[in-house]
Amino acid sequence: MSEDAASTDPAPDGGVAVDAPTARLRDGGTEQKTATEGTDESTLGRLADSSLLTIARREYRLAVRSRWALGVALLFGLFTAAVVQFGASSVGPGRFDAVIATIAELGVYLVPLTALAVGYDAIVGADERGSLELLLALPVTKGRVVVGTAIGRAAVLSGAMLLGFVPGALLTVRYLGIASVGPYAAVALAAVLTACAMLGVAVLVSTVARTKTHALGVSLAIWLWVALLHDLVALGAVAGFDLGSGAIAAAILLNPVDCFRVLALSQVDVVAGGFGSVLAQAGLTAPMVAAALVAWVVVPVGVAAKLIQRRRL
Amino acid sequence: MNVIDVDDVSKAYGDVQALDGLSLSVERGATLGVFGTNGAGKTTLFKLLTGLNKPDAGSVSVAGADPTDGTTVRERVRYLPEHAGFPPSLTGREILRFHARMRSVPREERSHHVERILHTVGLADAADRRVGGYSNGMNRRLGLGTALVGEPAVLILDEPTAGLDPDGIRAFHEVVESLAAETDVTIVFSSHALGEIQRLCSEAVIIADGQVATAGPVEELRRAAADEVTVSLSLGSETAANDATAELRDHEAVSTVSRSGADLRAQTAPTEAYDLLTAVGEAYAIDRFEVREPGLEAAFHEAVGGDSRDTDDVPTPATANSGGEPA
Repeated sequence: MSEDAASTDPAPDGGVAVDAPTARLRDGGTEQKTATEGTDESTLGRLADSSLLTIARREYRLAVRSRWALGVALLFGLFTAAVVQFGASSVGPGRFDAVIATIAELGVYLVPLTALAVGYDAIVGADERGSLELLLALPVTKGRVVVGTAIGRAAVLSGAMLLGFVPGALLTVRYLGIASVGPYAAVALAAVLTACAMLGVAVLVSTVARTKTHALGVSLAIWLWVALLHDLVALGAVAGFDLGSGAIAAAILLNPVDCFRVLALSQVDVVAGGFGSVLAQAGLTAPMVAAALVAWVVVPVGVAAKLIQRRRL
Repeated sequence: MNVIDVDDVSKAYGDVQALDGLSLSVERGATLGVFGTNGAGKTTLFKLLTGLNKPDAGSVSVAGADPTDGTTVRERVRYLPEHAGFPPSLTGREILRFHARMRSVPREERSHHVERILHTVGLADAADRRVGGYSNGMNRRLGLGTALVGEPAVLILDEPTAGLDPDGIRAFHEVVESLAAETDVTIVFSSHALGEIQRLCSEAVIIADGQVATAGPVEELRRAAADEVTVSLSLGSETAANDATAELRDHEAVSTVSRSGADLRAQTAPTEAYDLLTAVGEAYAIDRFEVREPGLEAAFHEAVGGDSRDTDDVPTPATANSGGEPA
């Protein structure tokens, strides 16, 4: 009987067929084999099999199957379509500005809430499910598990959000012409970058939280801070202590949501309410704010990759 | 040559001292059974061996390296946690393929390798079903499958048969037996089924209160703990049992005898058990009898200090029994 046949035939008594380990292992492969035979593989193939991307790909697949990706796409699709429909279909010279201002003002609530909801259980959820230990027992550093998880979820979140901005883009073209697509796309990208930043924060929370409930509570507190309280505190401090432009700039850069608002409003002439009313004094440029958002993506995930070493398993 | 060396290791979680100066060595190719009371430190030991945790004191070496130093040890060691879980939306095949990719199984061999593991653990028919629909036993089988991916040098399995049905247990036994017979893979597993350890392991270690209470070859542990068999009898009536007990007390081959209702229990040398049964059988009607050989249960009780069968912590022993209706 061939080896294949031996492996697939059920045991005569109805039990499971057990391969001889020597045969099975011979058919398996080892790290050593990879090292020698891997030279024939393409660079792309090796990249695809890298532990980081393998974890990211698995996380991507899990996120897509959980259907929250579809939910995020639908949510943002409805949001952008409604804003553009109601904002751009009316008659007037400032229609596009109104659309962007509305997206910026409502996005400061929606974008961080979505990202935190997507990321809060990234690590602690796997721990509670019992899959984190198995993951960490693989030949991959703990930090890479965190980074791979964050990349996978960020990919799904970004894709779903960009998809959600498409209906708004189509309506923008219909009502305002093709020229408005560029600024609209810039706002969409700013929203995605902000979402990735908040996702990084959520992954950090998930890494240090003992339970999912704990992570959810902390995430909601963070949302309350970035969407509401930070601006109130910052405006109060600016008004009360007569702080200079440096403090205003710092206050903006220390809140990813404010960074989003700045980037979005930089596409239009109007300056909306909230913290936006003091933007002119801050001396911030769009690239500077975008760089701050990138830092907001990288730093929390980097800190999480360090702190997972201390997580009790 | 030792593949595992644990030297005077301590580990505490807050106020709880999980391991307290534990030392242990395992030779390459050995099959080591680890057992002890709940909370004795078995899982903590396994996590130290796989580098998931660091010891507070002492040193751990697996395959010649510190498990917490990079990924070298984890490339050669496979660990199945006691409460291993899987993302419910993935299929069994996808999970094994993920592990194969992470274990650097060559791409061209990956599908075949995964297929064979699925057959080995008896999940071939359920390979493309989502794990969320798996039973607890199927999840354990899948966990065992992940431990077989690639070419392990050391298998560390934390209660691998807990929750398995008889087919799953048998599949696990067959895998371990064939690995032990045909490869030099070192297998370390914990179990509360002492019969399983007796059957599969060349060595055993009993852990109590974070320390090694006793360790050595299974046969030596059994013999050292007790060199007598226990003969249990159920007679027709309490009166008969009372009379038989009195007679057995005078029997020079019987070291101890006790009675409870119509049941009596006597300890004697293995060579005397048959004569004892015959003697009682000629005088009284025996409803049932059982001869229990000395097993790891005795070693366990001796190691942890006395017969603690009344406590909740004690594992359910599965000793080598022979018994049945008298002819």
